[in-house]
Amino acid sequence: MIAKKICMLGTNAVGKTSLVQRFVHTHFSDSYITNIGVMIEKKVVHANNKDVELVLWDIYGEDSFQKVQLSYLRGMSGYFLVVDGTRLHTLDDALALNERVSGTAGKVPALLVINKVDLAPQWEIGPDHQAKLAESGWEIFLTSAKTGEKVEDAFARLTMKMLGA
Amino acid sequence: MAANSILESFLTNQGYALFEHTGNGLFRPIGEYPKWCEKLWKGALAKDKSIRLAEASPLLENFLIDAEGFWNSNREGSANSPIWSERDSAGHETQLEAAALHLDGKNVLLLRNLSSTFAERQKLYQAARDSLLEHERLLREIQKKEILLHCIIHDLSQPLTAMRGCFSLMGLEDLTADLRRMVETGQRESNRQEQMIRGILQAFSADLAGQETNADAAFGAADIAACAQRAVQEFSPAFTEKGIRLLVDPSVDLTRDWTVVGDDSRLDRILGNLLENALRYSPKGTSVMIGLEDRGKAVLAFVDDQGPGLPKDQTPDKLFALFAKGSDKPGKAGLGLYFCKITVERWGGSIGAETKPKGGTRFWFRLSRTTKPARITGKSESSKGQATSGDAPKISAASSRPHLEQPAKRLRILVAEDTNENRELVSELLKKRGHTVVGVADGRQAIDALAKDPFDLVLMDEQMPVMDGLEATRAIRRGEKSTGRHQVIVALTGNVTDEDKEQRIAAGMDGFVPKPFEMNALFDTVEFLATAGNQVIGAKPAAGALRPSTATERAAASLELVAPIQDVAAHLRRTTGDNEKLIQTLTKSFLSDAPKRLSAIRSAIAAKDPGKLDTAAHAFKGSLGIFGALKAVSAARALEAMGRARNLNGADAEFSALESEFKSLERQLVAMRPRKKAQAKRSRSGRRK
Repeated sequence: MIAKKICMLGTNAVGKTSLVQRFVHTHFSDSYITNIGVMIEKKVVHANNKDVELVLWDIYGEDSFQKVQLSYLRGMSGYFLVVDGTRLHTLDDALALNERVSGTAGKVPALLVINKVDLAPQWEIGPDHQAKLAESGWEIFLTSAKTGEKVEDAFARLTMKMLGA
Repeated sequence: MAANSILESFLTNQGYALFEHTGNGLFRPIGEYPKWCEKLWKGALAKDKSIRLAEASPLLENFLIDAEGFWNSNREGSANSPIWSERDSAGHETQLEAAALHLDGKNVLLLRNLSSTFAERQKLYQAARDSLLEHERLLREIQKKEILLHCIIHDLSQPLTAMRGCFSLMGLEDLTADLRRMVETGQRESNRQEQMIRGILQAFSADLAGQETNADAAFGAADIAACAQRAVQEFSPAFTEKGIRLLVDPSVDLTRDWTVVGDDSRLDRILGNLLENALRYSPKGTSVMIGLEDRGKAVLAFVDDQGPGLPKDQTPDKLFALFAKGSDKPGKAGLGLYFCKITVERWGGSIGAETKPKGGTRFWFRLSRTTKPARITGKSESSKGQATSGDAPKISAASSRPHLEQPAKRLRILVAEDTNENRELVSELLKKRGHTVVGVADGRQAIDALAKDPFDLVLMDEQMPVMDGLEATRAIRRGEKSTGRHQVIVALTGNVTDEDKEQRIAAGMDGFVPKPFEMNALFDTVEFLATAGNQVIGAKPAAGALRPSTATERAAASLELVAPIQDVAAHLRRTTGDNEKLIQTLTKSFLSDAPKRLSAIRSAIAAKDPGKLDTAAHAFKGSLGIFGALKAVSAARALEAMGRARNLNGADAEFSALESEFKSLERQLVAMRPRKKAQAKRSRSGRRK
């Protein structure tokens, strides 16, 4: 069985752990528990007529307290850049992190996930921002770890991209 | 051996496990094999208790690449992994940390089970990140509230413009005494509403931005006794309806000077908020009394009620906090007392509340006395004397028609305003004043109209479709670079924050009339800027040049920083269209009248007659304005304000300044005449030769 390492990247409290928990365990918790390390989860999916084991590296959010060590990304087949739609600065932070990631990891399949679509009326990352991001080449998924909206789709799409399909 | 054994036991006890890297991906435990390793990685154990750690954990697989790099180097210290979580077969999570070391010539891997300390570490990060998130949330809340506040202010101001304009127009008609009183009540209340809106905006935007004292507050002065009387007059109906008596403490000597630091409009609101509060808690048949006490360099003002007193759990801190509400009879939004606190403190005063020993509540505030004259608020001033809820409102000259003076010069004015009602209203007012007005509905039309015909001044709304006022102004200024001309452009706007002003200055506007405006303020600003605004040719107005022009004095003051008039002759040529005959007539008339006008001001000051000072200074100020003598206008304006405020402190100094500025102007005007006579003389003598 093919194994693919996927990293969850982004600043703190954007919902990286929640997305993984929703995808792997179909579970969501409303309380915010910060992740200060790396949690590795696995899930087997069927894509492109084969079973693929997704090894999900849920990495702590980068902020002024903790910087992501890029050596954890070694062997990564793809990654999600996760931002919180209700906090515009998480997009800026994520794009800055992405600069460092692409400088180290090279060209790796990636998706931009704008999470918390269940709070869409409070979003600061509006259609204009999304249009510019799309123009710059990002494939975007608007997800909600809370409701599960587009979460499966996002993982399925990244899997297909990693398989080159 | 014994020492090693103790050390190994200690490390095991602390959750450490030491492995020697024996090659081929195998690690041999040093000392006791930790049970938690066995529990986590049973499947990776070899028969000799060696373990293939890279197979045991994806994170270790990754980290061991870094560890190999470290072991193969001569580096000192260690290579460290991040914290990571491993889950055993039962689903229990264990948090681990790894480090690669050189120890005694061996390549050693140290693993640490963090179970005992992880919760503590996570708690620290959690607290720090929760604080950050809360900080972000509060900032967003503040931003939202500021935006909401500005939207409300803007929306509330718009209809007020039309209402006040209509009242002004109605006031020009021949009305019965009853109708005039009603119109004046409408005017007074719409003025009050405007001042309240502006007060809220200023107080809250400054507070939310953490700004300190603004210029108005720093230099303001208010007659707190007059405010108390006005408050009684305005709130009497509401108190009477509830069967409560409202009065100013009869022992207060209202003929004394009760001027304090502050400004009338906000002081009115402070008293208003305290009275509304007292009204909510006062039982029928009781009294509410406003008192004033002389405290040397300060005045203590208070509102006493005969209600139940403060609840025991209600401390002043809680009472004056933002969004604080009473538990049983809450007010509206919990803003009223907060407004009182931030305003009084901004003026350097203090505020508090207490239950009186004999029952009831006293809300008090203390403000420093000032020798500056109280400012004019545009409200009808109550006559000095005791005010109670039984007094009828005093309307001066109720049946007399306001006198609409003709301007010194009839202007051609372009009004660019997209709201039909406002455009018609402004145009109608300016036409009644005697000016010629052309109206357009957006910035693009304004530019087209200016290309066709000359205008003395453009009144430009800021927010318009097609092209807004700022964009149109920028376009006009760009066009002037080649012509050297300067079109006077005055913003007509409901946006009055410092940021708005900066945008206006940057766009190249010469001044602004805030909406809603007063009729006379509109005339004064427009006429003043139309004659003086041309002095800023080629120069961007300095920061601060644009100020609210709500009254004549502000219009004059606003220009002081724009361009002191250097050349009276050039100013007169420009404003009269180079009409030499008119200039001579104006100059002759002015030089003839000015000494009498100055003398009238001097006499009024000597006689301590504020009414005469108001009239005389106002008349002279108008004449000085024709010659663009801005410093002299400023001095006359200050004297006029003193007269209106009935406080002549500092009048002598202002008069000296006025006299000095007048002499300077006089010298320039006289210098213009002899030169002409000398030229004529030379010309005549030349002909004789």
